[in-house]
Amino acid sequence: MAILWSCDSDSPEISYTPTYLQVEQPANFPEIQYNLSNNPVTQEGFDLGKALFYDGKLSANNSIPCAFCHEQAFAFTHHGHTLSHGVNGGIGFRNSQPMQNLAYFSEFMWDGAASHLDLQPIIPLTSELEMGETLSNVVDKLKADTYYQSQFPLAFDDGEINSENILKALSQFMLMMVSSNSKYDKYVRNEEGVTLTEVELQGQNIFENKCSSCHATDLFTDQSYRNTGLPINAKLDDTGRFKVLENPEDLYKFKVPSLRNVEKTFPYMHDGRFATLTAVLNFYDSGMVDNGNVDESLKRSDGSFGISLTENEKVQLIAFLKTFTDNEFLNDTRFAEY
Amino acid sequence: MEVRTTSYHLSIIFIQMKITKIFITLLLCATVISCSNDDNMVESLVGQTGDLIVKFDNGVGDQDLIFDVSYDKSSNESYKLTSVKYIVSNIELTKSDGSTFMYPEIENAFIVDEADANNAGEIYITLNDVPAGDYTKISFGVGIDQERFQKGADGQGNLLAEAQEKEMLWSWATGFRFIRLDGVYSDATVTDEALNIHMGSVGTSLDNYREVSLDAPNTVIVREASTPEVHIKADIAKVFDGQTSVLFADGYNQVHTDETTTPVIADNLMGIFMIHHVHNE
Repeated sequence: MAILWSCDSDSPEISYTPTYLQVEQPANFPEIQYNLSNNPVTQEGFDLGKALFYDGKLSANNSIPCAFCHEQAFAFTHHGHTLSHGVNGGIGFRNSQPMQNLAYFSEFMWDGAASHLDLQPIIPLTSELEMGETLSNVVDKLKADTYYQSQFPLAFDDGEINSENILKALSQFMLMMVSSNSKYDKYVRNEEGVTLTEVELQGQNIFENKCSSCHATDLFTDQSYRNTGLPINAKLDDTGRFKVLENPEDLYKFKVPSLRNVEKTFPYMHDGRFATLTAVLNFYDSGMVDNGNVDESLKRSDGSFGISLTENEKVQLIAFLKTFTDNEFLNDTRFAEY
Repeated sequence: MEVRTTSYHLSIIFIQMKITKIFITLLLCATVISCSNDDNMVESLVGQTGDLIVKFDNGVGDQDLIFDVSYDKSSNESYKLTSVKYIVSNIELTKSDGSTFMYPEIENAFIVDEADANNAGEIYITLNDVPAGDYTKISFGVGIDQERFQKGADGQGNLLAEAQEKEMLWSWATGFRFIRLDGVYSDATVTDEALNIHMGSVGTSLDNYREVSLDAPNTVIVREASTPEVHIKADIAKVFDGQTSVLFADGYNQVHTDETTTPVIADNLMGIFMIHHVHNE
């Protein structure tokens, strides 16, 4: 009877029968921070999140998707841009950060203003300088779209097109973006007989002595906020983490960035002021200024600030940094628009 | 209700014992029967649900709150407001017997906005499907608690979109404003300077969520056919002159994320509410 009944029905219910996906836990990574039990990743949710990521509808003028500033080939940064431009010609005030391995982080943005991955997209989506949209408008636009009308019920049990499910779908897409198959990874995990060259090994030695106290773990960040003594750009006057808590101790502090795919994520620093890795290392060697709150770990024994590096050491370090490039991730079709 | 019925049976028992012991057996039967009748009555109440309306009525001391009207505060400062909004969540009702009912989480966060008030200055929150009962206490949180916040989008339905529409989300970070008072203030030296109280928790670093528990002056009787109205007065003056009196001139004209000033406002906010009266139909 029941079967006959449903066959006769003119409007068959779209059934929620998700295919669950596993978020990777690479052996050399810290533990996943995201609470997956609240938002288990499914193929349908991932597909929905990817569609949202590449959809201009999330912006006020329907033409600035998330992917506008986050291009896969550059580890989801905005290729070559120091700062990015958004709707109505607005210019953001920080360099677009890479998107990878976000499952293993607990705070997001250069200043940690988002303390949950689900909530992070609200910042660019609502910023007048970036996507200039409101969540309610996005909900209305998606409700009028036939793809989303059919995809939300496949991705979520309640099938609702609301802010909860939009944000959960975006998280599902982002959680799957794991970059863990660089030359370095294969080397430390003893996979495929991968070895580092002499110069890369020398670079690794310098890195461990001079960089890894902040760029710690195999994510290459201790996820702390530090002031590295960058000369202040008066035009932007970006006080960094100070904006979050208005705590004077946080002045000019920014999140220690992960160095994964760092070869591809140029330009560098929170405002993209350095175009090359050489420029970054030159700054650490001789460009730091005492702006009142520089991290103590960057103080030399003579009281000046900086990390002394010879020209040869810089070359060796850069060779090692390039072993973090993960071409499998950068070319992974699961994350590609087409 | 239950208590009254029980004492009624006890008095029957007492009288009948006086008459004769022969009736004791019969009496026990009667008690058993009436007890089960009793149970049936309780069960029917338990299965029953009704609605409850919470009315928020913002005022300033003994005056109604009206936008753009100047109100005096301590230390010869005064202020005029153009927006008054706050978030109320985790509403829990306590019965006379001490048992509690927590309104379902996904529905249990409300933005009380003076701009939505009726002509009497009241903002209505309707709680649906509340178990029938006699309630004597209502408690709620002001703002969003850390547990809920740390769930991200999970279980929040469209709350984030609604909060953003009401300008109760930070635009530069992800977090809720628990209270938003916008307007101007004046004192002996300045006139109509900007006044913006946008207080909330700051991510997981600073928790400014506070809980309020209010005793009802008379019982709140929820039945399927009876929708009580709990009239809560909120004295906005106490945001500035509550547990602690603050001075606009000392920086309390701009309260956003500072870890010194925001908890003071949060503590004051906790004390602005009282149940003025309850209407039972």
